[in-house]
This record gives sequence, C-alpha cells and structure tokens, in this order.
Amino acid sequence: MNILRSVRKIIFSNKKTIFALLFSLIAGFIVISFVSETPVQTFLSFITGPISRVNRIGDWIEEAITLTLLGLAVAIVFKGEQFSLGAEGQLNLGALAAGIVALYLPAPTFLRVPIALLASMLAGFLFGLIPGILKAKMNANEIVSTLMLNTIAIKFYEIIVTYSLTPKKGATFAASLPFPKEGILPFFLPNIPFLQNGITVLKNQTSISIALYITIIIVFLVYFFMSRTTHGYEIRMSGLNKDFASYGGLNVERSIILSMAISGAIAGLAGGHISMAIHERLLLGISVGIGFEGVVVALLARNNPLAVPFAALAYSYIRIGADVMERSSDVSREIVVLIQGIIILSITAERSMPLLKDVLLNIKRKKKEVL
Amino acid sequence: MGFDAAITSIFTPIFIASVIRISTPIILPAMGGLIAESSGTPNIALEGSMLVGAFTGVIVSAFTQNIYISFISVILAGTFIGLFLSFCHLWLKSSAILSGIAVNIICSGLTVFFLYMFTGDKGNSYKLNSLNFPAINIPLIKDIPFLGTVLSGYNLLTYVAFISVILIYILLYKTKLGRYILAVGENKEAANSVGIKVENIKLIALCLSSVLAALGGANMSMGYLSLFQRDMTAGRGFIALAAVHLGRKNIVGTLLASILFGFSDAISNQFATLNIAPQWVQMFPYIMTIIALVLSNMLKKKS
Repeated sequence: MNILRSVRKIIFSNKKTIFALLFSLIAGFIVISFVSETPVQTFLSFITGPISRVNRIGDWIEEAITLTLLGLAVAIVFKGEQFSLGAEGQLNLGALAAGIVALYLPAPTFLRVPIALLASMLAGFLFGLIPGILKAKMNANEIVSTLMLNTIAIKFYEIIVTYSLTPKKGATFAASLPFPKEGILPFFLPNIPFLQNGITVLKNQTSISIALYITIIIVFLVYFFMSRTTHGYEIRMSGLNKDFASYGGLNVERSIILSMAISGAIAGLAGGHISMAIHERLLLGISVGIGFEGVVVALLARNNPLAVPFAALAYSYIRIGADVMERSSDVSREIVVLIQGIIILSITAERSMPLLKDVLLNIKRKKKEVL
Repeated sequence: MGFDAAITSIFTPIFIASVIRISTPIILPAMGGLIAESSGTPNIALEGSMLVGAFTGVIVSAFTQNIYISFISVILAGTFIGLFLSFCHLWLKSSAILSGIAVNIICSGLTVFFLYMFTGDKGNSYKLNSLNFPAINIPLIKDIPFLGTVLSGYNLLTYVAFISVILIYILLYKTKLGRYILAVGENKEAANSVGIKVENIKLIALCLSSVLAALGGANMSMGYLSLFQRDMTAGRGFIALAAVHLGRKNIVGTLLASILFGFSDAISNQFATLNIAPQWVQMFPYIMTIIALVLSNMLKKKS
C-alpha cells in the first residue's frame, strides 16, 4: 500500500514535471508550425504516432525499457550529487559482454540468458568503478573522466565488433552474426496453448521481451536499495551534504565509488537489453547520445526510482512520435532534441515555478481590476 | 610506412605544423573554458558553442560569400549561446552543469535540423559553396627553412588562437574586469560585499567563453575542413574542458594541455598508416587525458 500511495503521489503531485513536459511540447509544436507545410497533420502524426499500430506500441515499450534502465542508472549517481555521464560507455561494454556470452557460451536458454545479463551488469559495474575511484581517491572531475571513458569504451566496442566478431567472409558491414536462439531474450508472454493464435499475431508485430519484468524488478530493487539500506542512505546523505555526511561518520568515498559502480551495472544491463532483445546481434553505433537521454529521464523523474518508468514511458513516447513524424511528414526528427533540451532546462530551472506563479497571480489581479 | 618511419616523421617541421593546426580547435575553446572556470562557473556548453560556431560560419559564408561577415556572425552566434546559457543559469537559476548539457543537446540537434532545412541533407553541407579562412603567409619568415613551415601558412584562426592566449592573459591579470572575474571565481560572497555585480561578471565571462569556443568550431568547418558535418566537433569541447582541468586552471597549463591533446591526435593520424586498428590510436588522446588527470591530482595531493 505504501508503494501504491507513493506512486500516486508521484503522478499527481508533480506539477513541475507536467509543466515541463507540456511547455516543451508546446515549444516543439511552435517550431513545427513554422517549418511544416501541413502543420496539423504533422502534429497529429507526432502525437498519435506511437499508438497508431501494434508494432509501434511495441517499439514504444522496448524503448521505454532501455530508457528506464538508463534513467535509473543516472538517478542513482545524481542522488549522490555525482554528475557522472558514463552511462553511454557502460552501455556499450554491457552490450559487448552480453553479446559475447550470447554468441559463444554453449548453454541452453535458461542458463545462457541469465549469464549474459549478469555479464553485462558486471562489465558495467567494473567500468563504473573507474570514474568512482578516480573521483573518490584522486578527486578527478567525474564529468571529464566519464566523458573520456565513454569514448574509450565505444572505440573498444568498435574494435572488438569490427575485427573479432564480424565474420571474415561475406560480411558487407561490421556486425557480429545474429545471436543464436538460445542467446535472445524470450518473448514476454509464455506459450499458453489456448491463446496460441493471439500470441503468434503479437509475436509477429513486436518483440517485447522478458526484459519488461526484469526492469520492473530492478526498479523496485533500486527503490529499496536507495531508501531502505545503509548504503543507499549513505549515497543520499553524501549527495545532500558531503561535509556533514563525512563529519557524521559516513564513508563518503565508499558511497561515491559504490553509486557509480551500481549505476554502471544498470547501464550495462541496458546494453544487454539492446543487444539481446532489440538488435539480436552486435552492431556499430548502438548508443549515439543515449547517455544524455538517461539524464532527461532521471530529471523528469526527479531522481525518484519509482517515477523513472513513468518518465521513461512519457519520454520514449515523444521519441517514437518524432520517428513516426519524420517518416510521415516533412519535419525531421531532430525536433525532439529541442523538446529534450527544454525539458532539462525547465525542470532544473529553480525559478520557473515561482515565475509561473507570478504570471498567474498577475492575470488574476488584472481580472479583479477589470471586474 | 613502417614503425620507424612513423617515429622519425614526428621530428619533422611538417609534423609540428600539423600539431599546431590540430591544437587550434582545442586551444580556443580551452581558453573559453578557462575564463568561465575563472569566474567560478564551469562551461559545459563549449561543445555546443563550437558546433553552432562551425555551422553559422558555413551557412553565412555560403549565403553572403563574405569572409568578414561570416567571422562576425560566428562571434555573434557565440555571444548568443553565451547569453542563452547565462539566461538559464543566472536568471532561471538552473544548475550550470545541467543547463550546459541541455545547451549541448539543443545545439547538436538544431544544427542538424537547420542543415536539413538549408541543404536537404542531414550529414554534411557539401552542397553549399562555403568559404575558408585564408591561409596567412608571413613575409620573410615563410622563407626560413624550418621556422617557415612551423610559424607561417596557417589560417587566420590559428593565429587568433595564439593571440587570444596573450589577450586573455592581459585580460585576466592586467585589467579591472579580469580581477573582478578572478574575484568572483575565488569567492562570490566576498566579491559581492565589495560591490562587484557578480551576475554581470559571470555573464560576461560566459559570453566570452562561448565566443572563443564558437571560433574554435569555425576553425574546424572553415579552416581544417571546408564544410559542416553533423556533430563534427566530436567531443573537442569536452577535451577542452579536460585541458582546463589538466592545466590546473591557469593559462600556460591550459595551453600546454591543449597542445598535448593536439600532439596525441596528430600522432594518432601518423600511426593510422600502420597496420593497427585505427580505433586504438584514436583512443590515445582520451587515455592520455585520464592518465594526466590522475597524475596532476596526485601531484596536487602531494604538494
């Protein structure tokens, strides 16, 4: 019940988030109406796009799964006031680790899939340790170190995929072989005999995997970890006031390292989801700018783990909508970055709500004067 | 080319010249980052400012065919980004880091968006007939055998970059404004208590910072290459940020760190001809940054 109540609180009490979403959408629409020749149709395809076909709903959910994991990863480090932007690199290494297990470990599905997912988390965890240790022990700026590590990880991923995993003969582009059936995350619905037909129809349209359930479990685990365990408490306190926390005897160094490593593990899992459920093979360029998408989701959810899935659903809706819009109109999908930027700005702007209140008050006052 | 040849080619004037050429788009934003950092605000939006500078220069030069107007427009574009960042950070009180990230995202997307509107192409601007900054050959010096190659023949912005280093030194340490900037960066409250308008000083610092970054971007699209490519700055704004931290926030240190990045980048170009995966060498500057960050912080701890 407690959880239910807090979920409701998140949805209904977060005026600022809703304001930020609406404001950014309006800004997006204004730009669309300037550049599109058929603005109304373009709006409609943007707004109704993600739910217009079953396969698009599937895309929407799958994107939301990736974004939920990334949002959680970012929310954990942001809670500790660490501006780590390393999710992109950790995601690449996670995808790579999961992919190698999925391709080469000779084991049946029920062993291969969990081991691959654990491998992706381990890769992300270890890669997240590096900026954590650099920050805690050497006081190296985590923004700089994570951005550098991202490039290193992406280059490493490219090297392994291009030179080791791409088959030597007959490959037209750099990519591993498609994963064998045992290495792919299973469909999210089991084979129920009397629903066979319906499930087959769904399966042809979408490939939503059991990552759906895994992600929901992770959401609750992170919530539990952050709000109910000592380590989570340490991370939150170090974020609120570092000096106070260390004066009070908390191990700030450990909490910095731990928050970055756990965040890395979850970002790595997002990589596992991308390789084992979405592409079902290892491709180049799986992650362009995706670390920053995680930042948007975490901010929308105000770093609250239970709110992250809702933020991810809302945000991936906008992203898929922009994709559909690009295909069915004359406006390119880059409009979404404007929306993205405005979301970040209007959520982090501390003065936006007081300003809005002032404006509303002024309007009310003027109405009274008129009366 | 063998390994030996790759090594010996490092000691030629042509290689030194290429280091300077590659360092230019790092020195300019790094100097910008330094000014912002001196005023106490990290400018994460260097990358975005560079992209906008690169894009504005190409578009304006393609439509006006006038290099001076393009130069001024790049400066204006940089100022605009600086003002926007100040609006978010100083007026709306958004966190400097997150508003910087937002500006980067917006710049990266909007440049592609407008590129598509102007050219119908999302990748690059090869369809536009944009201009290049002219190469400047210094008379007399250009005929001296070694120095001629090292000192002469770069495009305008490379000289602007090195002159800006001197100008920023003068600005920060010899003028009232510079002392105000340093005072604000050192201690906001103290500066405020002696009557310095903290927000105005920060605004000036952020604008200057973004202008320098925009010029660095223009150097890429109108000097190094002669077209705009999507996300062509490829993280140089962040490398510049790293250079500021590596140079311990002082001018000479930042300049040397920027040249170090230029050097490792130029080396990776040299070694690209060897039989190694190019990605290994492309990693080099980034690994250098991390090693250097660690070393510089270890030294700081000791002293």
